[in-house]
Order: sequence, then structure tokens, then C-alpha cells
Amino acid sequence: MKLRHLACCMFALSWVASAQPSEIALEIPVIETSQYHRPYVAVWVEDAQQQPVKLIALWVEKPDWLKDLRRFWRKIGRSNTTLVDAVSGATQKPGNYTLQWDGKDDTGATLSTGRYTLFVEAAREQGGRSLVKHEFDLPAQGAVIEMAAEGELGAVTATIR
Amino acid sequence: MLKKTAVLLSTLLLSNSLSAHTLWLLPSHYVLSKQDSWISVDASAANMTFVPDKGISLASLTLHLPDGKVQQVTSVHQGKRKSMADIQLAGDGTYKLEMANPLRFFTSYELNGERKRLMANKQERAAQLPAGASKVETTQMRSRNFAYITVNSPTNTLVKLQGEGLEISSKVHPADVVAEEPLHLVFNLDGKPQAGVKGVLSYEGELYRNDAGRIEFETGADGAFSFTPATAGRYLIEASYSADSDSALADKVRESVTYTFEVALP
Repeated sequence: MKLRHLACCMFALSWVASAQPSEIALEIPVIETSQYHRPYVAVWVEDAQQQPVKLIALWVEKPDWLKDLRRFWRKIGRSNTTLVDAVSGATQKPGNYTLQWDGKDDTGATLSTGRYTLFVEAAREQGGRSLVKHEFDLPAQGAVIEMAAEGELGAVTATIR
Repeated sequence: MLKKTAVLLSTLLLSNSLSAHTLWLLPSHYVLSKQDSWISVDASAANMTFVPDKGISLASLTLHLPDGKVQQVTSVHQGKRKSMADIQLAGDGTYKLEMANPLRFFTSYELNGERKRLMANKQERAAQLPAGASKVETTQMRSRNFAYITVNSPTNTLVKLQGEGLEISSKVHPADVVAEEPLHLVFNLDGKPQAGVKGVLSYEGELYRNDAGRIEFETGADGAFSFTPATAGRYLIEASYSADSDSALADKVRESVTYTFEVALP
């Protein structure tokens, strides 16, 4: 599986910056442990039927462990290798990150009006697994989503535009 | 709860020492995200779910490939408490691990007040029954023990009904069973939903719970059993169906299955 660096994705998204993209701020917390491995992280959107519509970010290394992002694996990873290859980037060290989303789905089409759910999942080798989610409506007009820190994930704040 | 299960599983014909034991196959992994991954499989005949008791022969253990081809599993070891197999899964798709007994015929009878049996069908039995045998009854038996393992994208070839004997079908693929989501299983005999299939659902960890939490069920006309697993983990279903038969070879049929599966985290 070919993995591209995150920078490529960030660059690719930057051209829509003028269209006021949604922003998702997340934190990979510092975890004090003797055997620390960077977590695998997936950020994506599902529609009201729990079908994935947009993979926003995927930070992973080896295919062996992709399955440990359980929900991501079931919903996207196991069946859409093209999308995984296109979106995936390297794992990240603890810190704060901001992702941008242009509001379009995986095929580049604008998402229709309706209810969606933002998912953030993280799994760390020799560590735990965390999944947080929050519903939002489109058009969102700047609605702010806040998800409390949990295990492998620090607080997530998203502004959906 | 255990007592009831034992009653369910022990019939006149299953009078050997393993009768009250359930034979299960327990793969080390049910879901894999890399081709050519190895899995190991534990197999045992035991009373407690996934607590090994007696190692069993794995001579009839087969691996069904996603395209339907069948391979004999040859890297096996039979231990005292459990047996083990090593299996490498080359390509993507859903595999089926199966240990099945082909159709067998038992004839039971009574002689001088003692219950006995021999391996013969209805046509063969006359030549083998001793003089004075009474209460003669021949049963056709078949058992299947199986589990599904999925590498990357799930496939449906092996989860489709074959239309022979007792089989389980579901709209939920084995790789999609998730805690807190309802699971609807249909028990089919010769390809059609079957009433009167009796079963027991159990899950790992019984050794560390006062109440094993088993669920007993019997199917109605729709052949269905539905439940919502509360927790992720490895589950076991054992089910059987017995009925009178008008076949030329047997007076009764008995079909049984054990099925192990994984319930994933939501």
C-alpha cells in the first residue's frame, strides 16, 4: 500500500482555502509510556445511513495494523484501497493539528442537505483505541462541534462551514 | 445453564465420551488488513466456551478459499487440551474454516435390556443386527464446525447457502457483526428456513463469570434467531435439528453446527 505524506494532502486542500473550508482541530496527546508508538488516526464523515461519504485524513504506517482502527476499517479501509492510498499520510507525533475540509465528498461532489456525523478514531500499538463522533447538519453555516478528550485523542473542535 | 445445554446436546446416539462437549474452532484473527497473514486456529472439545478441554483430530480441517476452492489444512498439532493449526491466507476475501463430518449412519438397538449401536444405515443394518435386537432405530447424522475469516474486503461466495443440511444465513456479513447492533440469523435445512432448530449462544470469558450468560433458543417457522450482542468479543453458537425421516436409509435425521464469530467494537 502506497502511503503519501500528509503535506501532500494539506497542499492539495489549500487551493480551496478561499471557499472557507471547514476546519477540524485535533490533538494527539502526550502519553508517558516506555513503549510509545504514534497512533494511527482516521477522520471521516458518514451520512444519516452510516455510509462513509468523505475521508478527511488518515495517518497510518503499516497495513497490518489498519484493522485496529476498527470502525474506519469496516466502513472504508477494507474495501476502498484507492481512497486509502490517495488520502493516507504518515503518522504524527503528539501535538495540535488542524485539518481542512472543503465540504465535498470523496468524489468531489458537494454534499447534499442533511444530517451527517464526523468521526475521529485513533489506535496506538501497545496502547488503546478511541472513537469520538458528533452529528452535524448541512448546510452548517459555521456550526461548531466540540468533542471531549478521550484516551488516545485530545479534544476535537470542528467548525463546519 | 450448563445442565440445560448438556441435555440439548446429548441424545441417545451421542453416547460417546465427547457427547456433552462442544467442538469449536477458534481462529486467532477474524479480520486482517494484510495479505499473506498467518493465523493460528485452536480447536477443542469442551464444556466451557473457548476454555480448551480435549484436543481433537484435525484430519478433516479444511480451508475454503474466497473463490470456493477447498484446501486441506496440513500444518496441525493435536495436543492434550487443544489442537492447533497454522494457516496462511494469501489473497483478499472471506475464507471459511470448516471441520465437517460427512453423513454418517448410526443404528441403535436394545439387546437383553442393554442399549447398543452400530455404524450402519437402514439397508445395511439387517445383516449386522444380532438376533433378538429390539427397538431398532437408524439415525443419519452430520455435523459442521466453522468460522469465517476476512482479509481486506469481504466477499460473499462462502456465506451463501449451499442448500444441503443445516446452514446459517444472515443479511449481516460475518465481518460486519458489531456490538450493540442487532444480529438476525436464519437457520436453514436444505436451503429453506427451518422451524425447531434448537441452539445455544455463548461468549468467551465464562470461566470468569458466575453466570455464563448463555441464551437458549428454538427457531419458529421463519428459522430465525435474533439478538443484540452487548459486548465485543468472540461468540459461539451451537445448534442442532432432529426429526423423523422417511428416507430409505434412516428413521431419523440429526444435523448439528457450531459456529464461532467475532463481534467487533462499534
